[in-house]
Amino acid sequence: MASPSKALPAARPPDMPGPAGGTSRRRLGPRLSQRIPVYPVLLFGTALMVLPLLWMVSTSLASTKYVTTFPPKLFPDTFEFANYARIFSDTDLGRYLFNSVVIVIPSMIGQVVASSFAGYALARLRAPGRRIWFVVTLATLMIPYEATIVPTFVTFQYLGWINTFWPLIVPQLFGSGYSIFLMRQFIMQIPTEYDEAARLDGLGYFGIWRRIIVPLSVPALATVAIFTFTFQWGNFLGPLIYINDPDKYPLALGLYAMTQTSNVGQTPDWNLIMAGGMLLTIPMVMVYFFGQRFLYEGGNALGQIRV
Amino acid sequence: MSGRTRETIAFYLFMLPWIVGILALYVVPLGASVVLSFTNWDLFSSPQWVGLRNYSSLLAGEGSNFWLALRNTAYYAAILVPVNLALSVAFALLLNQPIVLRRWFRTAFYLPSTIPIVAVVMLWSWLLAPSGIVNSLLSVVGVDGPAWLVDPDRVKDGLIIMGVWQLGGGVVLFLAALQGIPRYLYEATMLDGAGAWRRFRSITVPMLSPIILFNLINGIIGALQVFTQVYVVTQGHNAGALMMVPFLYENAFEFNKMGYASAIAVLLFLMIMALTVVVLRWSRRWVYYEGEVS
Repeated sequence: MASPSKALPAARPPDMPGPAGGTSRRRLGPRLSQRIPVYPVLLFGTALMVLPLLWMVSTSLASTKYVTTFPPKLFPDTFEFANYARIFSDTDLGRYLFNSVVIVIPSMIGQVVASSFAGYALARLRAPGRRIWFVVTLATLMIPYEATIVPTFVTFQYLGWINTFWPLIVPQLFGSGYSIFLMRQFIMQIPTEYDEAARLDGLGYFGIWRRIIVPLSVPALATVAIFTFTFQWGNFLGPLIYINDPDKYPLALGLYAMTQTSNVGQTPDWNLIMAGGMLLTIPMVMVYFFGQRFLYEGGNALGQIRV
Repeated sequence: MSGRTRETIAFYLFMLPWIVGILALYVVPLGASVVLSFTNWDLFSSPQWVGLRNYSSLLAGEGSNFWLALRNTAYYAAILVPVNLALSVAFALLLNQPIVLRRWFRTAFYLPSTIPIVAVVMLWSWLLAPSGIVNSLLSVVGVDGPAWLVDPDRVKDGLIIMGVWQLGGGVVLFLAALQGIPRYLYEATMLDGAGAWRRFRSITVPMLSPIILFNLINGIIGALQVFTQVYVVTQGHNAGALMMVPFLYENAFEFNKMGYASAIAVLLFLMIMALTVVVLRWSRRWVYYEGEVS
């Protein structure tokens, strides 16, 4: 690895242009693009990224007879849009989808509220022990999930929560180290003058949280909600451990179970499985698509880490 | 009641859910894992204290697949992490060039990383099936493709392909970091007559190094804890892809060996911590923090 040159200035001199934001097109001598064929390499990479996705879409629209033909073709001769109706009528994916929604929504609300509470306390309220709790919050990030999995399972089993959604939802109601860290960083950027003004108007701590902090930290709240959705929507290990009753499977586990129930030696209905894969994928892609501006603002708070 | 006391009470009220969470989800279970790791427990009878026996039998490899799981996991991590890191930097550099349709290219690279793992595995099981599209394409160029996700010698490579396909998150982080590098740094070295490679080595790499470190540590931790892909591909029944967390899972939730599984968890935790410390120490030699006083 290259060690940085000691001559690099530590701070930007005042008369220099700001960080290149992609708008400045000043030439810098021989560019990378003049040395490597940028477009062929990028197109090749893009093809590797996108073609499998196109293949998922096209298989999800293929007829059952078609998917067993060999060698496979990239596009089917006819598009069977009825496959997307069949996954709701011929399989249990509709029920699994409903279960996923029932698990995901309270998880998102719980994470957002609990993280916002703790982030506000750590960013704004002076109390003995605040620094220690902040360090402990960061320390929880270093504990891998499998280090606590056995006792947690034993506890939930003792509570009689096997085959319920509680073991999946309840842990989300306390917040998490990452969400709280993100909230704290974001709230620290909000000028304290707003709090002062609100206090002069007679608001208490809860009122300040409710009327000042929450409205001004929407990007961070949205980021926490998106991350929680991402985790919970794709969560596989949790449902695998805690849910044995197929009526209660969430989508990710149910889709997996669908591939397992086809008889040995028999090819699963790949077109329906790919349609199920699309059902699992589309909400995620939509969440990222509509949430990306929040992710950008929310994530920027992490770029200015001041511990 | 003084304002100070009220503020303290408010702090602890706002922190209450998270403090309960820290205790109930981290501190107590972590301690319980350590205690359980010294016992023999099948969940039904009461736990038996066995001292260090779980650890000694794991490390001696007696009738267990601990070393196999460790070897497989190390292979997976040792290939996936550097490959993803190098390709993420390379594609971020390309995507940072003034190209047409730049937003579309960036989206294309990011898209696969947003797909839930179970859907990724479904898709790639179809693509990598013995008579699937990948092997059909290989047969065009005269290569006899393997049974990617079935053959014990090949299944890890199939899992690595899936991991590489999802490198988009890293690309986005590197792109953001590249855009934060001040242009005058490049201009200054240009005046000194530095070529493209020299600029990459002396400016781009040092300025990206904190993000490289972040991705490196996250990548290592993620690869060592891989579960879902492995389980969905093999149901834990392919010795070629037995990895640490699936090994833990089968002991805890298929064989009901709670003490033994806890010992695996503790060992994996210690390995992750040790590796993180080693990487952090090593990183002092190559990570450059702007504004750092040396």
